[in-house]
Amino acid sequence: MWRSDEITGTREFTPGKESWAAAARAALECFRFAEDVEEELIADDERSCYNCRYRRWSAASFTCLGLVT
Amino acid sequence: MRILVSIDDTDDLDSRGTGEIASLIAEGLQQKGWGTAGMVTRHQLLVHPDVPYTSHNSAMCFTADIVDLELERFISFAGAFLDHECAPGSDPGLCVAQVERLEPSSDLIGFGQRAKQEVVTMQEAFDLARRLGIHLSQHGGTGQGVIGALAGAGLRLWGNDGRMKGALQFGGKKVLPVTELLGHPHIDAVRCLEGGVPGAADLVEIGEKPKTVLLEGASVLLVSPLEREGSEAVWQTVHRRQLRRY
Repeated sequence: MWRSDEITGTREFTPGKESWAAAARAALECFRFAEDVEEELIADDERSCYNCRYRRWSAASFTCLGLVT
Repeated sequence: MRILVSIDDTDDLDSRGTGEIASLIAEGLQQKGWGTAGMVTRHQLLVHPDVPYTSHNSAMCFTADIVDLELERFISFAGAFLDHECAPGSDPGLCVAQVERLEPSSDLIGFGQRAKQEVVTMQEAFDLARRLGIHLSQHGGTGQGVIGALAGAGLRLWGNDGRMKGALQFGGKKVLPVTELLGHPHIDAVRCLEGGVPGAADLVEIGEKPKTVLLEGASVLLVSPLEREGSEAVWQTVHRRQLRRY
């Protein structure tokens, strides 16, 4: 589900921007999840990586800034 | 006079959001008796490796009707507010445009549309703002937020981009007829997501945190056929994920 970037220490969510169930599952398993401000929420599941303030959107998916190695 | 106020790049991962900053500026405008502010809308800009942004690259904009003589005082207030409130490391930009001075097909709209599709520069933003007589200022950091601020104003002027900040409130009612929805101060029209218009007497089930989008200059509540049985409603407000493209 994640592709690591060894240079930046970040990881990219490989399922992309439309995998709502996968994003919700990933957030349930994440201890760093923090809900973003209301206007940036896009998933109906409140707890979803798509709603997390530590996701940085990219053209194809997002990079997680919450768990930097 | 009617003005467009747009800001961008005011936050970082741990600060208050740009939307809240926009709302506070709008509240300040009203508290000082300079005029009345409309709803705040969010406008998505290009997500690209060459564009610096914290996490989503969106601009926030609102309209306001203000006393002509107070324009300069308002601009000073909004600028000082950004200077004081914006997160360290952010690159805030402020745009204030007088709507009456802009043509319906203004180049400002084209700039906003471009900023959703391609990388544009600060110099282009300042050049256009100067040519159109628009206030555009940077308030810290690199000032890159001026691009999004100008683009946000253009997209709001266009009227076919963005969704409202916050959610509509209906006093706890869960099912409402279209006619009653149209009485809400933030709803100009009710339309079906896939096209068409629901009947005036049709009942709509209100979902979680409904919000409007801007279409053809109107604040539109989108609905879709009711997905579940056992309700007197025939429509429901659309899911949050379905508003993503607006």
